[in-house]
Amino acid sequence: MSLNDPRWGGQGGDNDRDRNDGQRGDGNRGNNQGPPDLEEVWRDFNQRLTGMFGGKRQNRGMGGGGGGGDGGPQLPNFSFKQFGGGIGALLALAGVVWLASGIYTVDANQRGVVLRLGEYVQTTEPGLRWRLPYPFETHEIVDLTGVRTVEVGYRGSERNKVLRESLMLTDDENIINIQFAVQYVLKSPENYVFNNRFPDESVAQAAETAMREIVGKSRMDFVLYEGREEIAATAHDLMQRILDRYETGIQISRVTMQNAQPPEQVQAAFDDAVKAGQDRERQKNEGEAYANDVIPRARGTASRLIEEANAYRERVVANAEGEASRFNQVFAEYSRAPEVTRERMYIETMQEVMSNTSKVMIDAKGNGNLLFLPLDKLMQQAGGAGRPAGVAPEPQSAAALGSNAPALASDPRNRDLMRSRERGER
Amino acid sequence: MRDKLPLIGGALLVIILIASASLFTVDQRQHAMVFQLGEIKEVIDEPGLKFKLPLIQNVRYFDKRILTMDTAEPERFITSEKKNVLVDHFVKWRIVDPRLYYESVAGDEARARTRLTQTVNAGLREEFGRRTVHDVVSGERELIMDQMRERADRDARTIGVQIVDVRLKRVDLPNEVSESVYRRMEAERKRVANELRSQGAAEAEKIRADADRQREVIVAEAYRSAQQVKGEGDAKATAIYAEAFGKNPSFYSFYRSLEAYRASFAGKEDVLVVDPSSDFFRFMKDAGGSVRN
Repeated sequence: MSLNDPRWGGQGGDNDRDRNDGQRGDGNRGNNQGPPDLEEVWRDFNQRLTGMFGGKRQNRGMGGGGGGGDGGPQLPNFSFKQFGGGIGALLALAGVVWLASGIYTVDANQRGVVLRLGEYVQTTEPGLRWRLPYPFETHEIVDLTGVRTVEVGYRGSERNKVLRESLMLTDDENIINIQFAVQYVLKSPENYVFNNRFPDESVAQAAETAMREIVGKSRMDFVLYEGREEIAATAHDLMQRILDRYETGIQISRVTMQNAQPPEQVQAAFDDAVKAGQDRERQKNEGEAYANDVIPRARGTASRLIEEANAYRERVVANAEGEASRFNQVFAEYSRAPEVTRERMYIETMQEVMSNTSKVMIDAKGNGNLLFLPLDKLMQQAGGAGRPAGVAPEPQSAAALGSNAPALASDPRNRDLMRSRERGER
Repeated sequence: MRDKLPLIGGALLVIILIASASLFTVDQRQHAMVFQLGEIKEVIDEPGLKFKLPLIQNVRYFDKRILTMDTAEPERFITSEKKNVLVDHFVKWRIVDPRLYYESVAGDEARARTRLTQTVNAGLREEFGRRTVHDVVSGERELIMDQMRERADRDARTIGVQIVDVRLKRVDLPNEVSESVYRRMEAERKRVANELRSQGAAEAEKIRADADRQREVIVAEAYRSAQQVKGEGDAKATAIYAEAFGKNPSFYSFYRSLEAYRASFAGKEDVLVVDPSSDFFRFMKDAGGSVRN
């Protein structure tokens, strides 16, 4: 038992010292009344005392502080020559020491478990306690409230991964990498002490088996993304059930998923998939941005069209009204003296036209057919940009004096017609 | 009294000595077995103070607590589709019949472990051989563990051991298979990524196209309204013109033509080649205006 108790060695040292301090068999056996070797007896007794402190007094669990045991009581060295009167006092003293050896302290975060003749009798609360001394009762100190942690899949920090613990298969036969921690406390010191050989190891075992079972039943995406909390909670329950089945006296207080990731070999592909999701959003947003750019502009264009149309309508109507009114007034006067007015208007108009334009007067009748007209020269002199216009080679009448003469339709003239029409509109 | 004291002391020591040789305590956590000259006399399951004959009887203790057998290295098992899986497990066991236990494995825990390991491994081999990888990983994991516990327990009872639990820890694929799993996972992710990206492109295109459609519609509708409005204007203007000019169309033609001449020949760059015989120049030859007809 409890060979793993580190303080064995130290106690053993006590043992040896006792042996060395004892008599080295220097021939005082003659005085001995008791047939068995008294030294043997003392040694045996001593050994048992120390054994009780060393062997039976193990402080289980983390953290030291199993107080009380400070080595066995040092029995005074005596030789049997002085054995006379002192022995009574000595026995009394030994009795007191023996009784006092039943005193032990329990710290605030500990409980003591007391066994009477090997059988569990009670769990004691913190404070200074007394039990029957060895061999009738022994006790063990159990650390209670110190929250203990088991790390699965990593040690110390998440970067320090332990792959053989952390890689597991999911339901859809993918491999994922999980690091988690289990924190636990003791709910029943007596169960903790009595039912399992290494109860703390059970936690790690239960943690691993539970987590793998649950991950094995879940799909990868669930474990990696939305289901982490749920997985931890389910694992928590399963671990507790397993530990309760072994009656370890342990209560799982928390299961924390430190990390759930795809394995490093495929991490890049996973990251890319996540990026792709973001890309999709980005593309949609760009589309939206385009829409938000185009549609308002179209609305603007539409407004402009409508407003321009309104303007056109107003303008055309106003022009028409203006022109109609002007015409009406002129017509009213004209109807009083049509002949004269007509002549006057004609002459005024012609005067204006003639005075504003460059003119070449040719009496074509006298010159026969050969007539050289350097029109381009004339144009240059006129200072214009060289626009041949209204060329009427042989106008027969005033009716021919118009830009609308249909008989004259060469290409440049057509252009001019267009232009003059434009100007008319302006 | 004083001279009796040594005697008393001595007697006390003797009593203690005898007691220590013939009394022993059995802990909660132990079975004790009393041997007399090598043969088992008694098995003690209850804790407490027990008595034995000094010298000729000796006591051996066996652990009563639940013990663990945790495989150090995962074992390879073959599933029904002839695939290898690496499995490690742990077994929780407890000595329930020390006499049987002692007789079958001489109380040696290592031997007991060996025996149990063989049992459990044989059982697992059989269970795995009947199932597919998927079943052992997820579907029937619990079932395997339950069946294993029952089987192993039946067998373990013959050596005085109870199997409290058999639980699988790792059920993994061997490395060479893992690699192909990784490749498959990668391919799946690529598929997902491409799908997401193309979805994104499609959705963006849809949004853009919809925006373009809206633009076209908005502009076209506006154009329609604009043309209507212009038409109204034109109609109204036409009506006004007709109403005004209809009073005397021939005068309108004359009046309007004059205006047109004025507008057409407005600049020096217009060159008129005129004939003196035209109406306008009739008085240039004689004051009578003979050209006029």
